[in-house]
Amino acid sequence: MTASTTIDAAPAMPRFALGRAGTATALLLPIALINAIGFLLPVLNLLRMSFNEALAGGGIRETFILDNWTGLFGDSFYLELIMNSVSVSLGITFLTLVVSYPIALYLHRSSGRWRTFLTVLVISPLLTSAVVRTYGWIALLADQGPIVKTIAALGITPPRLMFNTTGVVIGLTEILMPYMILSLLAGFGRLDPRVEEAAMTLGAPPSKTFWRVILPLTLPGIALGCLLCFVLAVSSFITPKLLGGGRVFLLATEIYDQAIVTLNWPLAATLSILVLVIFGAALAVYARVLRVIE
Amino acid sequence: MTKLQTLLGVSALAFAASTPAFAETVTLAAYSGIFQDHYMKAVVEPFMKAHPDIKVEFYGMPNSAQMLGTLRAQKAAPQIDVVIMDVSVAKAGTDEGLFDKVDESVSKNVADLYPAAHAQGVNGVGVTFDNLVLLYNKDQVTTEPTSWNVLWDKQYAGKVAIPAVPDIQGTTLTIIANKMAGGGDYKKSVEAGIKKLTELAPNVQTWDPKPDVYAPIANGQAALGIGWNARAQVYAKSTGKLGVVMPQEGSGFQINTINLVKSSPSNKAAKTFIDYALSPEAQTAFNEEMFYGPTNSKAKIAKTSRSMDKMIDIDWIAVAGIRDGITEQWRRRVIPLSR
Repeated sequence: MTASTTIDAAPAMPRFALGRAGTATALLLPIALINAIGFLLPVLNLLRMSFNEALAGGGIRETFILDNWTGLFGDSFYLELIMNSVSVSLGITFLTLVVSYPIALYLHRSSGRWRTFLTVLVISPLLTSAVVRTYGWIALLADQGPIVKTIAALGITPPRLMFNTTGVVIGLTEILMPYMILSLLAGFGRLDPRVEEAAMTLGAPPSKTFWRVILPLTLPGIALGCLLCFVLAVSSFITPKLLGGGRVFLLATEIYDQAIVTLNWPLAATLSILVLVIFGAALAVYARVLRVIE
Repeated sequence: MTKLQTLLGVSALAFAASTPAFAETVTLAAYSGIFQDHYMKAVVEPFMKAHPDIKVEFYGMPNSAQMLGTLRAQKAAPQIDVVIMDVSVAKAGTDEGLFDKVDESVSKNVADLYPAAHAQGVNGVGVTFDNLVLLYNKDQVTTEPTSWNVLWDKQYAGKVAIPAVPDIQGTTLTIIANKMAGGGDYKKSVEAGIKKLTELAPNVQTWDPKPDVYAPIANGQAALGIGWNARAQVYAKSTGKLGVVMPQEGSGFQINTINLVKSSPSNKAAKTFIDYALSPEAQTAFNEEMFYGPTNSKAKIAKTSRSMDKMIDIDWIAVAGIRDGITEQWRRRVIPLSR
């Protein structure tokens, strides 16, 4: 009862007079808190773990040493692993872009029910888990599978399509395609059909229209799609684990092995932080590309 | 509203009716999947029948490392009372102070265990023995192989599935290959074994068979491979296409230990369970159910003629110390040859 009188007695002030900055802070606070507890804290924990000492047999000694980091950069195996991870992911990103771009362009130009139908088709693979889709690829790419049999029927000695880098690239490219197509579509907003028509009217052949008009206008979508696919490719581990046959050493699979099989948590933490650094670099490149496009 | 109230009332009643029956709950962490199914049937359920006041909650996890990770996370307030895990992981857990000692004060059965069930520096004791076996697909390999050497046969190029190191099946194969190549004491050097494995590499289809090594051989994706005897026997019984051989050169042991978690919530009941798990009847029952070798010398072995004399005595605690080196050799010298 007394509380209500004090409110009444207070001068007539808007109840949420926080100001612009105040409102922004209030709105950001929940997500900032969630991120601090759910993301920042674990990452700091991981960073701390990367300076601990791994004992033979999986034990961890709390200490502060740089061995994990110096070991990583002084060891040709890990340098190769990092290079391999980045180059394979870049290759997958490029391939995904090449196969997704025409689909996205067609989707962008289609309209009505047909467009809705096609969009659902593009998104539908996301409704199945990557594990199931990877097992699907195992069935298709297997030595007795349809693809190998078809190639053999043509009289060509079929190459190994699975349990190597080829298999990982094929599987991940297909799995990442929906992400690429959706990002491309999101970035195609500036592509106005009238601009294309104008270019054609002015006598530009289709190839020139594509290279000089369509491609530059769709660059923001390309940049976004490539960033997303690269990050997903570097961090994906189920598909490389299933299709790599233990021959393809990538950062994500190595983190899994070190954390779950050899129990070397300090090394796993070091590699995880390294992946975060690679993501940071990818984001920086993305920001720079966007600025150039603008 | 009334519906909800009735529902709440019924479930509260059910809860009230079910709780007083069990004075204590023991949480047992062990392998999920077929291990869980068979262990529940052969050991846990008979135990609960014999001890109506104790309830055993089976908390299945896919591998020992995950169990160790869970125990580490719960160190301040353990939720798990008993863990069954691989001996080398149990060593790491013992080193980190996660386990109490299992000795004759916990169970009189400890005195009857085979010497191999006691590992230096591990607070738990062996509860199952297993060994590496040769696996083959009966359609593709028509005459039953007798030697590990069949893995090296060029006839099966691209048809061999080997779970590579750091998986301990790969480690065990390294030690066997070292013995076959006349390499001497594996604790000093496995150079001869590694060299022999480089010759095996071109035959290998996958170093990381999924979901496990048994399925691709049973369905013909691969023709030959290596795996653990107990699981292989279970799959062989259910599929008919999977052949399991104990090769003439002998094999190596894998040991699962049973461990008592330090300051666990139901310590006394946990000890009662461990005592039962090590008893001759539980050991015999699990052997009959899932072919795991008993660690209690008084257990009767009905199935699978175990040839103890053919086993290479692998000191897993010593191997833990050289495992990183073996892994490095595999990755730099063996696996690249199969690309």
